[in-house]
Amino acid sequence: MTDSTAPFIRLTGISKSFPGVRALDDVSLDIRAGEVHSLTGENGSGKSTLAKIVNGTHQPDAGTVEIDGVPTVITKPSTALALGIVSISQELTLAPTLSVAENIFIGRMPRTRWGTVDWDRCVREAQAILDDLRVHVNPRTAVRDLSLELQQEIEIARAISTNARLLILDEATSSLSEAATDRLLEIVEEQRDRGVGVLMISHRMPELYRSCSVASVLRDGRLMGTVPLPQTPEDALVRLMVGRDLDDYFGSRDVTPEAVALKVTDLHTLDGALLPTSFEVRRGEILGVAGLVGSGKAELGMALGGAIPSAGTIEVGGREAAITNPRQAVDSGIGYVPDDRKGQAILPNRSVAENFALAWRGTLSRLGVLRVREEATLVRDGMRRYGVVAANENVRISTLSGGNQQKVVLGRTFARGCTVFVLSEPTRGIDVGSKSQVYALLQEQVAAGAAVVLISSELPEILGLADRVLVFHRGGVHAEFDAEGLDEETVAAVAVSGRPQTAAA
Amino acid sequence: MTLLDSDPTLSAETPPADAAPARRRPRLSLGRFTGVVVALLAVCVYLALTQPVFLSWGNITNIVASNSVILLLALGATFVIIGGGFDLSSASALSATGMVLGLALQAGMPAWVAIASPILAGLVIGLVQGVLISYVKISMIVVTLGFMSILASFALIVNKGATISVYGAPGFDPVYQFVNGTVGPVPVLMIFDAVVLLAAAFVLRYTAFGRSLFAMGSNPEAARLNGINTAMMVLFVFLIAGLAAGLAGLVSVGRLTGAAAASDPTLLMTAIAAVLIGGTAFTGGEGGVLGTMIGVLFLGVIQNGMTLSEIPAFWQGTVNGAILILAVGIGVLRDRGIRLRRRAITTRVG
Ligand SMILES: Nc1ncnc2c1ncn2[C@@H]1O[C@H](COP(=O)(O)OP(=O)(O)OP(=O)(O)O)[C@@H](O)[C@H]1O
Ligand SMILES: [Mg+2]
Repeated sequence: MTDSTAPFIRLTGISKSFPGVRALDDVSLDIRAGEVHSLTGENGSGKSTLAKIVNGTHQPDAGTVEIDGVPTVITKPSTALALGIVSISQELTLAPTLSVAENIFIGRMPRTRWGTVDWDRCVREAQAILDDLRVHVNPRTAVRDLSLELQQEIEIARAISTNARLLILDEATSSLSEAATDRLLEIVEEQRDRGVGVLMISHRMPELYRSCSVASVLRDGRLMGTVPLPQTPEDALVRLMVGRDLDDYFGSRDVTPEAVALKVTDLHTLDGALLPTSFEVRRGEILGVAGLVGSGKAELGMALGGAIPSAGTIEVGGREAAITNPRQAVDSGIGYVPDDRKGQAILPNRSVAENFALAWRGTLSRLGVLRVREEATLVRDGMRRYGVVAANENVRISTLSGGNQQKVVLGRTFARGCTVFVLSEPTRGIDVGSKSQVYALLQEQVAAGAAVVLISSELPEILGLADRVLVFHRGGVHAEFDAEGLDEETVAAVAVSGRPQTAAA
Repeated sequence: MTLLDSDPTLSAETPPADAAPARRRPRLSLGRFTGVVVALLAVCVYLALTQPVFLSWGNITNIVASNSVILLLALGATFVIIGGGFDLSSASALSATGMVLGLALQAGMPAWVAIASPILAGLVIGLVQGVLISYVKISMIVVTLGFMSILASFALIVNKGATISVYGAPGFDPVYQFVNGTVGPVPVLMIFDAVVLLAAAFVLRYTAFGRSLFAMGSNPEAARLNGINTAMMVLFVFLIAGLAAGLAGLVSVGRLTGAAAASDPTLLMTAIAAVLIGGTAFTGGEGGVLGTMIGVLFLGVIQNGMTLSEIPAFWQGTVNGAILILAVGIGVLRDRGIRLRRRAITTRVG
């Protein structure tokens, strides 16, 4: 089925600039049918821009696109769709109140000969598509009643049902748990075997090595090379991406945990998403929190950050903190970074500076009047210190790459001078180099005496950073481990089944 | 300019990446207002050439005076819209506060009580709406729509639908002087407008409140999670809108020498149109009062020009609507393409 000579799509000499940045510079690349092609690179290296040129969102400033050997100008997303180019990103584009079937056929509902919607056929065909992908949901269910992961699968079902020839996945797995990621990759591989070409953008190395047969690496908008996978070793790939070796990836800290900084007793939410949970974190310590999506670990973060109502007691630095809203969390010294960057963390149409300055809400003013100069200096220092790459501090934050947006969010939380940090998925969507930087920043905070609750779906990061690990399952803590010598399998077993592995492997 | 340009950071002219930070400061660029300002100047030049009266000082002060009510309502609406909300009740609140002033004057109250009465009434209206929205958690559209109706009806009820003439009322003279008096050649009202405008610009740009307002309009959840008390912010925003309506009521009564019981249905639309023409985004988190002033002036000058050119007033709505769509439409197009193209070229050359 695979035609190894003629690519489905050939990009030649693609360049694209945005105000103040050259996002792509003379990039040439072939994607073949029946191949999963990985596009990797640091945050802001131009991956999404390239994907958006292929799917018609952006127009290149220079360069040509050939599809099946025919020069083609993709002027708008609908042109791309008509050519069989479908993209999926981490942001879902489903209509939440409509049913699964309606979402799959949105914009192209089957009609009766009277021109009205043929509901029977709609549901029947949707069911067939879902069966084909082995997604077990009733096509009549409203999408908003499904878990995030099932929604992502519906998104894929829709993409595939349009007879896609090229599937673009731009960090489509970044908000999924490992199990759901597994399912998604299975679906992708099945499509590949049926002859669909796939362009996959992901910051997670294991995914690349599992599914992709080639990787193209971008750095600062330039193509650094296209290498075969899995033959190319990981460190070589990383070197191509970041231009240096990443030794000491997780960093280290020289600190002995001292006084208890955060003590949580029977913290729970009234809706049952988080069952009564108790633990302590000391200054100079990182507590890792693992678990599947929906296990309650995210709710733990939200409850500590005051984002959702909760009951139970929270003590910060030995003093009881009544946290019924986020303001009280901030005031009692808890720095919370939510997992949903776009929905809960950034001010999309404000500048990088204003986003950063949220750190000092209230404190950097005299009688309500902002100390503008002081703030500007602090913002510039902060951006430098936390490695935010942007044309300058006055551009809109939404024009920054995801990783740089995240560095702003983390930076402003660190800059707030909290004693306790509750970080929910702090490295979601950021590149390996930036992750390493974030880890270093985190280590620095901890060495300086901060206590950190690190909630993450990425086990390597928990094992690499935490002193102790709590594993959540169905709303509660099912195991606590010392991180010393702990391996992923042990944690994963509890996360999945709620019980430690019994028999030896 | 520096002060009035409440949004220099998002102006079209972003300094290049390598500009020395020390030299980077808000400049005299009109940024996002360029289109509207150029159009306004073009209209002014046309009117100056065809209608010699247009540039007379008398006509200019007349434009300012006759648009002060709209300006005040529009300033209030700017705060509400930047904060991510909308207020349908402002024009009715103007009628209601005007009637309160009318009643106070009719009852022979001393001038300072009379002057305070519409302002207080406006604040109370804002307070009640703010509490209902923020703390009782009724949706903003329901509350402001309800108040639009209630306040318009209130204005009719209190004097059985009749206009209250306040001419000759003992407390009216200071009100009249405030609205119609001059300091040398400059109308007091013009000075007042300028002061309110500067104060509003200052609040938006240089205070923690202003900053939080933009944050809330841009992403209410992010604002909340970073410790901004969004419920209180909404309450404050409605207090500001109420205050603006109260001041507008005062000015309106002073100009008409009476309190009109019937609300003018076009006022609300005109005020909001001015805000949007001035580049404040309906989606919140973006904009400023300088733009609003330009929007008000634009609509005011057009109206003045139509009057001078003896075009029937029936056309006013058509013209205002077309300007609104054009101004916002051009802004959208510019954001989407033209700006990117221009910048792309400079990058390639540079
Ligand atoms: N609409 C835009 N306006 C201005 N600049 C943009 C825009 N979109 C992207 N950029 C800039 O172009 C560069 C490439 O961005 P892009 O989103 O393609 O990076 P990416 O490789 O996908 O990064 P990430 O891994 O963080 O998703 C970045 O410097 C970014 O700031
Ligand atoms: Mg991207």
